[in-house]
Amino acid sequence: MPALSRRAFLGWLAATVPAAAIVRRAHAAAVAHLEADPRLLRALADAVLPASLGEAGIRCATDAFRQWIDEYREGAELNHGYGTSALRFTRSTPATRWSAQLDAMNVRALEKHGRRFDATSRADRVVLVREALDKERIDRMPAVADAGHVAAALVAHFFDSAEAVDLCYEAQIGKNTCRPLASSARRPLPLARTR
Amino acid sequence: MRRVVESDICIVGSGITAAMVADKLSRTTTATIVVVEAGDDTIPLSRRPSLRERFMRYGENPWGSDHLDAYEIEGPLQSRSMQVGGLAMHWGGVTPRFSPEDFRQRSVAGVGTDWPISYDDLEPAYQEAEALLGVAGEQGPAEMDPRAKPFPLPALPLTYNLGLLKEWAAKAGIAMWSQPSAKNSVPYAGRPACCRNDTCTPVCPIGAKYSPDFTWSALRRANRIQLLTRTLVRRLVLDPSTKRVTHAIAVDRDRPGTPVEFHAKQFVIAAGYVWSSHLLLLSAQPGAESGLANRSGLVGKYLTGHRNVQGYVNLPLRLYPGMNGQHSLLSKQFMRKPSGKYLRHDLRLWESEVGRGARLRDDSGALMLGDEILQDWRRRTQTGVARVRAYYDVIPDRSSELSLDATRKNAWGDPLPKLALRDAPESAALRGYSEDTIKALFTDMARAGGGEVARTSVDNFQDHPAGGCRMGGDPNTSVVDSHGRTHDHENLFVVGAPTCVSGSCANATLTFCALALRSAGEIARGADFRG
Repeated sequence: MPALSRRAFLGWLAATVPAAAIVRRAHAAAVAHLEADPRLLRALADAVLPASLGEAGIRCATDAFRQWIDEYREGAELNHGYGTSALRFTRSTPATRWSAQLDAMNVRALEKHGRRFDATSRADRVVLVREALDKERIDRMPAVADAGHVAAALVAHFFDSAEAVDLCYEAQIGKNTCRPLASSARRPLPLARTR
Repeated sequence: MRRVVESDICIVGSGITAAMVADKLSRTTTATIVVVEAGDDTIPLSRRPSLRERFMRYGENPWGSDHLDAYEIEGPLQSRSMQVGGLAMHWGGVTPRFSPEDFRQRSVAGVGTDWPISYDDLEPAYQEAEALLGVAGEQGPAEMDPRAKPFPLPALPLTYNLGLLKEWAAKAGIAMWSQPSAKNSVPYAGRPACCRNDTCTPVCPIGAKYSPDFTWSALRRANRIQLLTRTLVRRLVLDPSTKRVTHAIAVDRDRPGTPVEFHAKQFVIAAGYVWSSHLLLLSAQPGAESGLANRSGLVGKYLTGHRNVQGYVNLPLRLYPGMNGQHSLLSKQFMRKPSGKYLRHDLRLWESEVGRGARLRDDSGALMLGDEILQDWRRRTQTGVARVRAYYDVIPDRSSELSLDATRKNAWGDPLPKLALRDAPESAALRGYSEDTIKALFTDMARAGGGEVARTSVDNFQDHPAGGCRMGGDPNTSVVDSHGRTHDHENLFVVGAPTCVSGSCANATLTFCALALRSAGEIARGADFRG
């Protein structure tokens, strides 16, 4: 049996395997890749999240981001907009792009410092992240799913959280969580009293 | 082969006004009631917390298959939602009343059209609707907020933020109070009190906000109604001699090859401002060539709503956004009789975080990471932002209309509607004045609080749309009478939003519900199945 050319193979693949299945596999592969080498994402988080969160806080934020990626669904219907009959859906998985970007930063660290990304100093990692974000021309805090770079996605994911809001205001606001109605009438308690 | 379903009353649609009608008729009559819904059953309450999580994390629609496929239409549809409970499954639960002037525009200000009913006529139905929905509210100043009875539930408390914003508004000479809302301030009707999850729109995870599924569940449990889902009513059929509706023809989406006929003594169209007029127009037949109830040619005409002017005001106040962000302050100070040119509007205030979120680059464009972002964010949130919004009254034009779109058809070959909302000439002439005046008010308010307006915007669509089957005393200038009974067909009612003559300048759902309850009272009075 003659060997298939790459083009012929891709044609055969497209004809036999549903596109959705290919996409699901790509997402799963990217998630597996991130989970197989968690040090890279952890090192990135250490470079881009507030150090004032402490080690446990950064680990917690990183785990939440990883879970966000893991549970992302392509093609899910988005909430209806008012004033239009058009339906909108979630885009293709960002996991593949973000996974590749982590690998690219690792390659860049090896080139520049002769060490893996997670083995370089925090200061060096920050420089590498800045390089990457400048290259992607990221200029504003994105919606997580729309983030052009994994570093921006991780930052956006954390700063969109109720924990980040409380940290910013140094108060127990507890945004989007179930809280007694009556206590809303008073100023939120300061964080320091409970943490 | 066909399937026939018989009842005393057939209600088309299962949104909030249908729920009001069914509830009242089930309480006041012994009628057999069939409710027909084109969409699916809605998501049960038990699943809403997890679906809310996905909405918050990914923006996903928490209501699953809540629409029909291939229903993309031309024009500003308020929502694609079509399911048991309708759009009110993801409404904000905001329930102000219209003001007395809304019903007497021509008499008071020489514009628009007077309704055939007054505010006082609707007052009992307002009370009934507030009790059914469980409205939590605060009595405003009596001259701005006339009411015959207190709200059924105590007001949602003002958050710390809203307390500060209320003081600010007072400095600008504006009286504001807690926005009436169909959200439980205390446990009510078997549902818990609100706990500020703050995703009222699109989904309350605990059922503290009223949604029509609660009414449908209760009526189904009591075996008082039969609710058929996934069944699209396509036509109403007349008896040519009596002009009464004999039956509705529908398609069961699961068995499209077997037409379904609904035979009833009374038919109630409770399908909102789009699908009510649409069904009447689709039902054109010999003797009613331009559609049912359309002797006046006004079915689908005079679509109405109000336009939204909003602004964000930077204030020297330390606010804490996120305390109960969907709750607001309300003023009806500008809804009463205008002293000069015709401009009436409501006014609402919310806490806001617009322009104060965390950012990646500082003012010089330098990239920030980690604690730099946090410090920058803290510095910029030492003072707060208020969202201020006014809906202003737009007089509808006759050409503000729903018509059948011959170029777009649904899966069963019926033309879809197309929508075009247009201002009447008197409103069009005042549009610039109206929006400039409201923006100037925002500026005056900002100044009174030592702040500044950061930005303003005007929506390009009209909110809370209604009309299409306007009520009136004259069959030549209206589609239904003051109770929603069509002038042309004795046993056909249209209820709620479509019957509105004008759209006021406040959220309109409570008024739609009150109108529907008033219609239900008339249906019960006139029928021979009264209990």
